[in-house]
Amino acid sequence: MIDTNKIILLVEDNPDDVTLTLRAFKRSHLMNPITVARDGIEALDFLFARAADSGRASAPLPTLVILDLKLPKLDGLGVLKAIRDDERTRYLPVVIMTSSKEEQDLISGYALGANSYVRKPVDFSEFLEAVKVLGIYWLMINETPPHGTTQ
Amino acid sequence: MKIRTKGRLATTTALGTIGLIAAMIWWANSEVEEADHQRRQTAEIARALNDLRLVTFEYILHRPERARVQEQQVSVRLNRAIASNLFSDREANEVLADLRERTAATHRIFAEFLTSPAGGDAEGPDGEATRRFEAQLSSRLLILQQETLADAFRLSDYSTQRIQEAQQRVVYVIVVGLALIALTTAGVAWVIDRHVLAPIGRLEQATREVAAGNWNFKLDVGREDEIGEMSRNFDAMTHALRESFTQIERKNDELAALNKEIEAFSYSVSHDLRGPLRSMDGFSLALLEDYGDKLDDDAKDYLNRIRAASQRMGRLIDELLGLSRVTRTELSIRAVNLSALTREIAESLERQQPQRSVKWVIDEGMTVHADKSLMHIAMQNLLENAWKFTGKTEKPVIRVGMIEHDGRKDCFVADNGVGFDMAYADRLFGAFQRLHHESEFSGTGIGLAIVQRIFRRHEGKIWAHAKAGHGATFFFCLREPNHDRHEQDHPAG
Repeated sequence: MIDTNKIILLVEDNPDDVTLTLRAFKRSHLMNPITVARDGIEALDFLFARAADSGRASAPLPTLVILDLKLPKLDGLGVLKAIRDDERTRYLPVVIMTSSKEEQDLISGYALGANSYVRKPVDFSEFLEAVKVLGIYWLMINETPPHGTTQ
Repeated sequence: MKIRTKGRLATTTALGTIGLIAAMIWWANSEVEEADHQRRQTAEIARALNDLRLVTFEYILHRPERARVQEQQVSVRLNRAIASNLFSDREANEVLADLRERTAATHRIFAEFLTSPAGGDAEGPDGEATRRFEAQLSSRLLILQQETLADAFRLSDYSTQRIQEAQQRVVYVIVVGLALIALTTAGVAWVIDRHVLAPIGRLEQATREVAAGNWNFKLDVGREDEIGEMSRNFDAMTHALRESFTQIERKNDELAALNKEIEAFSYSVSHDLRGPLRSMDGFSLALLEDYGDKLDDDAKDYLNRIRAASQRMGRLIDELLGLSRVTRTELSIRAVNLSALTREIAESLERQQPQRSVKWVIDEGMTVHADKSLMHIAMQNLLENAWKFTGKTEKPVIRVGMIEHDGRKDCFVADNGVGFDMAYADRLFGAFQRLHHESEFSGTGIGLAIVQRIFRRHEGKIWAHAKAGHGATFFFCLREPNHDRHEQDHPAG
């Protein structure tokens, strides 16, 4: 039922959170390949096929980007801005998934064009539920725009 | 010299001048009166002399006995008139003395007339001699009388002249006095202008400068009088103001820096402190799920305790952030329908626990002036408390209303739940203070601290009345919006 060609890009620096998020996807039976970027620059390198990933120039974009806000080098909002500034990724679904629910983060996130904002709960059961709903919605229900769409 | 001294000097000069003028007028007036008396007296002398001449003349012509008697009477009158020393002036006194002598001489000659036989009737050489003698006497008498009359007129002239002189002197004194007063007035005006108005003008200029924010303006009019003192006090005041202003600015900067720090701290807490808790909870659950079959009940219990503690810590962090947010949020005061807000929260509580049946008694038309989102948080906390602490009550009732007290409108949230002992009331609003065991009623103990901070930020207050086992009532009041005041955002609650 799930199209396993749909790649998910997880931008997350905390290895514990990476492990737990991967576990949550697995337990939610979401089998899509997940690429992990451990900072903002890595995320952009992957998206725009730069540096280490330059061999992937023509590879398809991920279907969903799960973005943490607090990241080394370039933070989540910086990544989001770069994604929205580039024609290729302007309509790429980006879900912010972070610890904070500070007003300023919410406002900046939506202002820069985030598609969704999810707060990571401490309770793993709740986190599991959130990931499950998120995966089902963005990977199965939601229709993404065709690749290379520009204005 | 002090302005007060100058003023006294000017007043004394003016009053002295006026007194002097008054004295001069009084003196001139008494002078005139005296001269007038002299003139009247002189006129009386002249009249008596004239009468004397008439009776003497009559006697010489006809020698009637009546004329002789009259001469006696007139002489007595005249003597009385010239007897008194009317004049202080030497010249006038000499004239008067002359007059007295001549009058006496006239009287003597008249007496000689009386002793001579009735010359007019005598015949012969004797009669001829007597007639010549009488003619001689009468011509001497007439000359004397003429001279006495001239004396009397001279005295009269003298009195008239004295009156004129006195009047002239009055005019002179008044002119000089007025000139003195005019001079004093001009002097005072000059002193006021130069020593009072000019420095006050500079003082006024200085107040404007300081009001415009020029704190470095130095006044010092360099005078030793009251205005000099005032200007020095003004400088001291400006100096003190500048000091405290600088201090306030410094404190404000410090406060702003501190606020930034708190903001950064909260942000960091919000992002970083919950991560480890997620790991603790997540991996405990992973252990339970993946290795549950290898763990005994104790191990599972411990893992569950780790999970519960992590989640509780997560809630505490969230509530602490909420408390800090209440402090940091900028207020936007407007009318809030408290009745509607209460109903809204009550309905959401009922949706969350539909199995409970609580009777709500909510007054209609309650309005408060407050920040709506903060008011929502406060009411949410109060109503959640009432909801929670009536959880073990048989017929739970929650009342929300408004009462007038001393002209002030107090709102209240009352329940018939477990209540609390008033002995612990002072701990009620402190952060992390709990009056019940968590096993009885869950909670972090931050709710009422948040509520109190919200009311404090609204310049209002909250207090409670309760009795263990008989419910609790929380009263609160907000600042009445009757004074239009600039809404300031204080960083502390």
